[in-house]
Amino acid sequence: MAEIGIAVAKILFFVFVFVFGTAALLTWVERKQSAVMQDRIGANRAAILGLRVWGLFHIIADSLKMFFKEDFTPRGAERFLFSIAPGITMFFALVAFAAIPFADKLVVGGREIVMQIANLNVGILYVFAVMSMAVYGVVIGAWASNNNYSLIGGLRASAQMISYEVAIGVSIIGVLMVYQTVDLQELVRAQGALFGGWLPQWGIFYQPLGFLLFLTTGIAETKRIPFDTPEGESEIIGYHLEYSSMRFGMFFLTDLIETVLIACITVTLFLGGWQVPYLLPEGFHFPWGGTWALSNVTVTILQFLGFTLKVSVLLWFMMIIRWTLPRFRYDQVMSLGWKILLPVALANIIITAAVIVFF
Amino acid sequence: MPLITIDGKQIEVEKGVTVIQAAERLGINLPRYCYHPGLSIVGQCRICLVEIEKMPKLQVACYTPVTDGMVVHTQTPKAMRGRKDVLELLLVNHPLDCPVCDQAGECYLQDYYMKIGQYDSKMVEDKNKKHKALDIGPHVMLDSERCILCTRCVRFCNEVSKSNELGIFNRGDHAELLPYPDRRLDNNYSVNTVDICPVGALTEKDFRFEARVWYLQQTDSICPGCSMGCNVSVHTNTERDHHAEGRRVVRLKPRYNAEVNKWWMCDFGRYSYQPVDDSSRITAPMLKDGKGGWIETSWEVAIEAVAAKIKKALPLKKNAQVGIWASPQMTNEDLFVLRQFNQKLGFNQVAIGVTPKEKPFSDEFLIKEDKNPNTRGAAALGYNLDMEASRGIYRLAFDNQLAVLIIFHHDLAAGFDPQHLATALGNVQTLVFVGPNRNTTSEFAHILLPAASWPEKEGTFTNFAGRVQRLHQAVAPLGDARPEWQILKLLGKELGMSVPYLEAADIFAALGQSVPAFAGLNYERVGNSGAMLKG
Amino acid sequence: MNVHDKYKPLTFWERTYLPRIWDGLVITMHHFFRNLWHFILARFGVQREWKGAVTFQYPEIRRLFHPRLRTMHRLTKRDDGTPRCVACMMCETVCPAKCIYIVAGQRPEKEIEKVPVKFDIDLGMCVFCGYCVEACPEDAIRMDTGVIEMASYSRQSLILTKERLLSHVPHPEYYTMRKDLELAAKPVQLRTESEAGVEAH
Repeated sequence: MAEIGIAVAKILFFVFVFVFGTAALLTWVERKQSAVMQDRIGANRAAILGLRVWGLFHIIADSLKMFFKEDFTPRGAERFLFSIAPGITMFFALVAFAAIPFADKLVVGGREIVMQIANLNVGILYVFAVMSMAVYGVVIGAWASNNNYSLIGGLRASAQMISYEVAIGVSIIGVLMVYQTVDLQELVRAQGALFGGWLPQWGIFYQPLGFLLFLTTGIAETKRIPFDTPEGESEIIGYHLEYSSMRFGMFFLTDLIETVLIACITVTLFLGGWQVPYLLPEGFHFPWGGTWALSNVTVTILQFLGFTLKVSVLLWFMMIIRWTLPRFRYDQVMSLGWKILLPVALANIIITAAVIVFF
Repeated sequence: MPLITIDGKQIEVEKGVTVIQAAERLGINLPRYCYHPGLSIVGQCRICLVEIEKMPKLQVACYTPVTDGMVVHTQTPKAMRGRKDVLELLLVNHPLDCPVCDQAGECYLQDYYMKIGQYDSKMVEDKNKKHKALDIGPHVMLDSERCILCTRCVRFCNEVSKSNELGIFNRGDHAELLPYPDRRLDNNYSVNTVDICPVGALTEKDFRFEARVWYLQQTDSICPGCSMGCNVSVHTNTERDHHAEGRRVVRLKPRYNAEVNKWWMCDFGRYSYQPVDDSSRITAPMLKDGKGGWIETSWEVAIEAVAAKIKKALPLKKNAQVGIWASPQMTNEDLFVLRQFNQKLGFNQVAIGVTPKEKPFSDEFLIKEDKNPNTRGAAALGYNLDMEASRGIYRLAFDNQLAVLIIFHHDLAAGFDPQHLATALGNVQTLVFVGPNRNTTSEFAHILLPAASWPEKEGTFTNFAGRVQRLHQAVAPLGDARPEWQILKLLGKELGMSVPYLEAADIFAALGQSVPAFAGLNYERVGNSGAMLKG
Repeated sequence: MNVHDKYKPLTFWERTYLPRIWDGLVITMHHFFRNLWHFILARFGVQREWKGAVTFQYPEIRRLFHPRLRTMHRLTKRDDGTPRCVACMMCETVCPAKCIYIVAGQRPEKEIEKVPVKFDIDLGMCVFCGYCVEACPEDAIRMDTGVIEMASYSRQSLILTKERLLSHVPHPEYYTMRKDLELAAKPVQLRTESEAGVEAH
């Protein structure tokens, strides 16, 4: 019974508070950050009792708008599939978070609680398996809309997903070889060791090229600029062309959830996950000799905050990229995936393997 | 015959021809205001100045008779300069109110100013003020400031309409066109003065401020007002329906045909377009409901209703006949298809036309007594124009022996006693009225079928002299209206009789093959100026 | 000459696009941090001279218009208050959007015999090209009301009738040529809706 209670509590906290909270905040960040980058002010008009708080209320306003707009189903659409398609994408995007370790173990009343919804020993494989399912929702929704343009968007999405899944899968093999595990919790723990007593052994230091490849392919997986050919609002409007109201909102939110997901995986694989430098389960052990004992709860909170901070920085960086680069042409997306990223990722594996074998 | 050289081109012309006429034959168009081929020559405006070798001064081309060996130059700098100065003087007192002038767009002053105008005026004096917006007749407005005193209208009234209403009064730059005291420009051809006025001095009241002329499209057609068959062009405004109170046919202008009406037309004919966009138009097939009101319906329903009544009457019995009352206002094509219809289905109670009770107005010039445009065509197609035929049908109707009577166009009230007519038409079991406009007769009908009006269809009329002339479609039929032959085609389909024609040209071709009077005629032969019937 | 010869071939690094992407990121990040810094300073009242944004907070703060800006139409009047328009239909003729509908009528005075009975402009179709102003021989139509807010809840209310066009007034104070005035975020007093000739719904 308690197990189920804990599991539900974890799901509630990590998925519905952390993921949804971050995704909702991202809608605001997206507009505000782009405004600051472009010498503008950005959304600042939504107000409650004259209080504007830098436009944060736009999140509420937007969601209200999404809920109350007319929910439209085009004539000739496959009604059932049309209705469930946004749910499919969002479901798979959320389910992937099950394997993400948000912190180390928390000990409450002698019970060890792993700060991970499901402690899978094939964690990373699970994440990729689930992520590749998300494209089904897009393709189904695009096809069910009975619209040529959304179908083109769906086809582009599936082609892009399949192409980049190959590259993204190959790009992390280096990391897995280095840490000798596919269990994400173990993988993060392994990143806690220090080089020469001061530099954390994060994946990015072992696999800088792998990090770059993973981030690029990861952004491609989110279908956001510069890889937003499935949407391409200036040419085909994309797979969600016929969607309105909250169904569109779910597609829209899924994009952001996927962004969070990619940021979480990147942090887990390459930026030490929940590891805070020099923070061991008992407290801080600084390389210059100082120690600072901390309780298990404090350590867990610090680890979670550290994870959150890393994810936030990565999200910021992904936003910067999204507002800096223009969209790739469709053929450029394909040739980049197959002709550059995949060969380079394969080369990365061979070099990593050679280094591991010979040194 | 004198041989003349104009701008290097030689032409031999008969004696008495003037230079401007000779130039015209060579395709050289000289500017003119006062010269009109249908009027006498006065050399009033002097805009047609040309240089003639061995003559020291510039000469007016319109008034200089051709002599043998004459060498004329029309485009020399001297001639051009002369015309430019003449135009400047003509414009001295012109008010330049083109924005409010109805002539703007078809004004010779504007045209020649653009070509040969003195763009910067040398005048510093004030312009003379004269009468503006003077109501000089039932159809014509005069603005004597705009007048350039070409006297075309004066000569028209003296020579063509022979009514002598207009004259030039006062002298010098106070000279002014006005009607004679206590006279109004009130004759049956008065609006022709507006047509020939090269400027905006005489404008038409009916067209006044209705639309700008450059919004109008022109279509060649034939006046349906009487059996003269004057050639007209129909001016229509289809793109901007807020002008001219929504009328599509805005005005009629005469069209030159040397054999029929020359350059002229009468005022009755000019306003014969008014029923086209009238509120009396029937725009959809209609059935009478039980209470005497009309219900709009579709062609399918209406045609089926008519066909059912006719089928019920077949085979024809002595006391349940089918009567057809055709009209000489229908085109040759319509009448031809109707004749086939009658022959195939065996209808022999056929009348045409209504002889009016009072003798209509006519004159020796363009107005004929017969107010139907196609009486001669109907006769050539074998319709019995004798009044006895129509009397016969009328009697049958009165004696309650008509199962179905189809009346085309005509208002029988024009020829019969109204009270008596009401009884006669009331005794017809099914009365079908086919026509563009409602009238007294149509109110007695049980079924109304909307026919296209004359500017809405292709076809031919045959005038009193047997000249077959072509109507062109100027506007689309109003509402659901259709040409009569198409209505007969629909009806024929229901009654098991096929009308194989797709357009009016097919019918006329068939007409040319099967009716001796029309032998060898087709639309190309008829052309713009018409062709005569055989025999 | 081959078109491609004009461009020098890319080096290996350039072909990876990474340096150029980095350059772009540097520019956007530079703007981001600079503006963020300015916003923070302004928020805490440290300074107000540097601005983090070039935004004018419309509608509270309005920029002045360039004198040649074409804003909502108006019909000018004679001294006696009648429209200058003589319904010559030059504007209707020249209008590329065909959004002007004039019906002409007669007036008893001989001097001005033709007047517009109806003069409608359908703002829903107007493209604000200003040809009507150019074509007018009587200077009867102008586009200097300074009204730029024309959004409406119905198509019918987008049709400017003759009476509405005549009720519009020019607003020369909304226009300026001076760059300094233009850039100063100077609040312009708001017109009431009736002054602007915009019907409330």
